[in-house]
Amino acid sequence: MTMHADPVIQVKHLSFRYPGAERDTLRNVSLEITRGDFVAVVGGNGSAKTTLCKTFNGLVPHYWAGDFAGSVSVDGQDTFDSTVAELSSTVGYVFQDFQNQLVRPTVRDEVSFGPLNFGHEDYAERTDETLEHLGISHLRDSFVWQLSGGQAHLVALASVLAMRPSVIVVDEPVAELDPARAREIYLQLRELNERHGITVITIEHHAEFVAEFAHSVILMADGAPVWHLPVQEAMNRHRDLEEHGIPAPDAVALSALVLGADDDVALDVSTAVELLRPHVAREFTATERPLDPGTDRELVASLRGVEHGYRSIGGALRPVLHRLDLDLHAGEQVALVGTNGAGKSTLMKLLTGLIVPRQGTVEIGGIDTRTRSATELADKVSYLYQRPQQMFLRDSVREDVAMFPTGRRREGAQELVNQVLTRVGLDPLAERDGRTLSGGQQRRATIAIGLAMTPSLLLLDEPTSSLDVRSRDDVMAMLASLSSTVRCAVVATHDMELVASWATRVLVLDQGRVLLDTDPRSMFSRPEVTGQARLLPPQAARIAQELGITPTPLTAAELRTCLPTRDAALTKENR
Amino acid sequence: MARKTRDVLSVEWVRLELLRTAYATRGGLLARMDPRMVLLWYVLLAAAPWLTHNVTVLIGLFVLGAASVVASRVGPLVLGLFVFGLTTDIIALFAASFFFGGDWNTLAALAVLNLKIGVMSMASMAAFISLDPEKLSDALLALRAPELLAFGVSYGYRMLPILVDEYITVLEGMRLRSAAPASRGLLGWRTVLHWSVMSVTAFYPIMLNTAKNVRTTVEALETRGFTYAAHNPKGRTLRLAHLKVRGFDVAVVLTTLALVVLAFAIGVEYPLYRIG
Amino acid sequence: MSTPAPAPDRPADQDAQQRRGTLRGAIDGVRTMELTTSQKLMVFVLSMSLFGLSNILLEIIPEPSIGPVEFSISNMIFIPLAVAALFSPLWAALGAPLGEIVFTDLLMGDFSGLAEVEGYLQMFLAIYIGGSMVRNPSNKVQIAIGAISIILIDKVLSAIVDLSKVWIGVEEAEYVEGLPQSILAVEAVGLGMDVLISGILFGAIPAIWLIPRLYGRIEPLMGMRPRVPGEPIPGDAPKGPLFVGFALFLSAASFGFAFLEAFDLSAGAWEPDFLGRFGDSFLWLSVAAILLVLGVTVLLFKLAQKRSSHDDAR
Repeated sequence: MTMHADPVIQVKHLSFRYPGAERDTLRNVSLEITRGDFVAVVGGNGSAKTTLCKTFNGLVPHYWAGDFAGSVSVDGQDTFDSTVAELSSTVGYVFQDFQNQLVRPTVRDEVSFGPLNFGHEDYAERTDETLEHLGISHLRDSFVWQLSGGQAHLVALASVLAMRPSVIVVDEPVAELDPARAREIYLQLRELNERHGITVITIEHHAEFVAEFAHSVILMADGAPVWHLPVQEAMNRHRDLEEHGIPAPDAVALSALVLGADDDVALDVSTAVELLRPHVAREFTATERPLDPGTDRELVASLRGVEHGYRSIGGALRPVLHRLDLDLHAGEQVALVGTNGAGKSTLMKLLTGLIVPRQGTVEIGGIDTRTRSATELADKVSYLYQRPQQMFLRDSVREDVAMFPTGRRREGAQELVNQVLTRVGLDPLAERDGRTLSGGQQRRATIAIGLAMTPSLLLLDEPTSSLDVRSRDDVMAMLASLSSTVRCAVVATHDMELVASWATRVLVLDQGRVLLDTDPRSMFSRPEVTGQARLLPPQAARIAQELGITPTPLTAAELRTCLPTRDAALTKENR
Repeated sequence: MARKTRDVLSVEWVRLELLRTAYATRGGLLARMDPRMVLLWYVLLAAAPWLTHNVTVLIGLFVLGAASVVASRVGPLVLGLFVFGLTTDIIALFAASFFFGGDWNTLAALAVLNLKIGVMSMASMAAFISLDPEKLSDALLALRAPELLAFGVSYGYRMLPILVDEYITVLEGMRLRSAAPASRGLLGWRTVLHWSVMSVTAFYPIMLNTAKNVRTTVEALETRGFTYAAHNPKGRTLRLAHLKVRGFDVAVVLTTLALVVLAFAIGVEYPLYRIG
Repeated sequence: MSTPAPAPDRPADQDAQQRRGTLRGAIDGVRTMELTTSQKLMVFVLSMSLFGLSNILLEIIPEPSIGPVEFSISNMIFIPLAVAALFSPLWAALGAPLGEIVFTDLLMGDFSGLAEVEGYLQMFLAIYIGGSMVRNPSNKVQIAIGAISIILIDKVLSAIVDLSKVWIGVEEAEYVEGLPQSILAVEAVGLGMDVLISGILFGAIPAIWLIPRLYGRIEPLMGMRPRVPGEPIPGDAPKGPLFVGFALFLSAASFGFAFLEAFDLSAGAWEPDFLGRFGDSFLWLSVAAILLVLGVTVLLFKLAQKRSSHDDAR
């Protein structure tokens, strides 16, 4: 691949400062993006990835005014002398919170909105064609609020593609989607790139997708690019990536262990398998977390014959849970997995008492939820929403944490609040509004809110979604330490790394039924179950499975124990 | 008191009912018409009652209004609120006028007034429930209303379910995390106060969250030519090209006109005025 | 609380901080206070959605009433007041009543045609004036005055409209025994209740709590700088207190006038005056146009009624 032939975007000495900011957000950025490239922009939180990409379609400096020095030219057009509207015909932008990008009620209107505004006669053909390309023609007449997350992202993408841009920027598709759906988005992007020659730029935290799909990688740090390299070279420098908060994907990290310093690391599962096969031991001694069958353990919650459903717009009852029987015991760390619409949220809401089942009973600590209000049940159960901003109800983190214990006049509420804040490491930030914190800090703040309710059952909805890898590890460590205070924790999640490293029990929900109730390792070794529930095992587990190791190691750390020791690997590397 | 899942008169029900109304999913006579003709139909029926004091005519128009409400399949929530509003209005005014020495004459006068308001409300219920947001916004655009108004209508409907959901989520959180008052107090005033405080303070997070969302929305509007279209009328012409008045539309409007004229004719034949 | 001017924090690597590109366009200090098009749009959309949402809530809440006295919250005006006080009164005022119309009136089938235009204008004027009264978002007195003014202006204007409805709708309304008095009483009691409930309990008090809390927190979320008290406010009502005083006087005068003349108020009568005073912006032009149409319509209706009753008399 030639890097400097026919650049579609050229950035020269670009600096940008937001109004009122102390220093420049972008600092002397110079780079070129080749036509037809598939570029991943990576970097830790606050490295100005999004600001950089917003200079490509003129949102910076035309929408976000500020000090703008240097130049950006797109298809030969200087962005400073152009307008956002003009540039948008060349550069399409899919935002990170794409749900708010959808402004019209139906999918068809949404997609034709852009072409209509720009007065393109063929707006109807463009709409049909784009929907066809992305395989979502059947959604044409749906209302945008009926769409699932993955569908909504495709519609946002379609609405941008309908303007036939030559470049599209996609800001963190994985942040708000589960990995299986994010992969589908990436497959679409690859198709657009290869078949239609569209230059694709993605902002991405997950190096696994970068390694698999990107052609070149821009590493950003502190407002300037560190380097811009073809993907293989970029992954070979996985130590640089790690330094900037982007841990290498399992395939890269594991293959690096058995390779010399100058060899190319594996970018995907199959290459990693080939490279690892000669070195790997087939046996793996799992150090299992204790899982008690739980019959003699204290019962925290129990569901008997629970049926629940919602009324649809048409008035019909849409069933969500079918005759569900379930017991949750003290000491369990339960992961609740399954596709969207499998009934995870409904089950969680039933456990909080926010809703009561249409049939059957839900008991929390022996109390039927029908006999108590949700407010009273909150003494026993606390529920942490997926989006932290929905949990920040007061104007500082401290007040949010204190809301429950002081509201109920708990003894020693103040001490409890201080203790919890220290525990999640938010002491110095406790006086700030939760919304101003970074993603990882926001999660920790919500966990603090949950802990201050001193529940016996803690429910968490997607606690690791939309976090960069470093903050995610942070939150995972925090969850691991919960077992000492919370009797039982239930996490609804799409994050299989979290399931693999944290859960002692997994419940696979599928179409309102429990498909499987077991420990993580047994679940991941049953491809028919993971297939049906659309669960993608962690990359390390997939590698291990291909290698035929039993029992399956689930994480890179576990798989590493099957490889030659560190010393052996180092000798190899030095050779 | 044991709690159970209700399908009627719950928050969820109200939400669904609003959505059904907003998106005209029930179908109905006027829903099949060109939106501009629906507006014309509305003006016709809404203006007619104010041209007369003849009760016979008004009753005729009221029946016509009621018929169109049925034909447009207006939902129970909207209808319930309408009837409730109309009756409380009459009762309140009547009570007051009784206090000031009024008598049955006053009630009759008020009945006439409310008959007029009733016809107008029913016409608007039938018309605007049959117009889904896109149709209405197209009609407004076609009638040269400001772009911002037409956009506001369609965007408002798009945001409504999301905003309501967000508000309910925040309110749920408030409910769970704040303590309910120990006693209800006289007439439950403590409970009322508790709920009032919760529903008002819920706006603090809602306003901040919405502000964040609106930023993305407006950025997206910018990138997709919304402000560009304001200066370039071509998009507007294209968008409105599909509007077409068909024979069916004309027939409905003419029939209505004929019925209104008929009501007036009957009124001339059998005039009925309030006894003065 | 005094803070010493922060010493600019100069990193050691001067060279890396040095911009190599040429600075383009305006630099920070010289920028005007005017909002950009997209900022106006943001304020408009924010005000519209939030006020619409609050109206939906109020629509669902049951409203207890004892006789003619209705214990209802007519509006949660602390919401548009907050947007007006923190961003721009003009764009908050343009958006909020549209939100009310779109979210509740249209949706609930409660759309009353031309009267809806009236409602829009009343609420617009009320928020525009009331919002402009808050010069400093942390001044509680200004906030309280702003909140109560919004309700007063809106309700007084709508009372006038109600009265004219009766005047048109009821044949010789002024001669019906007890009717003028009772309408007057209902409107007066209603106004009192509205000021108490919507103006103070659900207006001033929440506003005093909310606005200072949002101040400095909500602006960065929309990519804007918090307002500094004392600097010109983008899109505030012209001539400050003078305008406000005049508008209040105008509303009060027409209100009193209406009763003195026993419902003989003509919408056309106060219109030219209104126009002459504020005819300098596009907004007032459209307002005037609408009022004119409204006035002519009202007169036509009245004429039509007169003629039909003449015909009937013959």
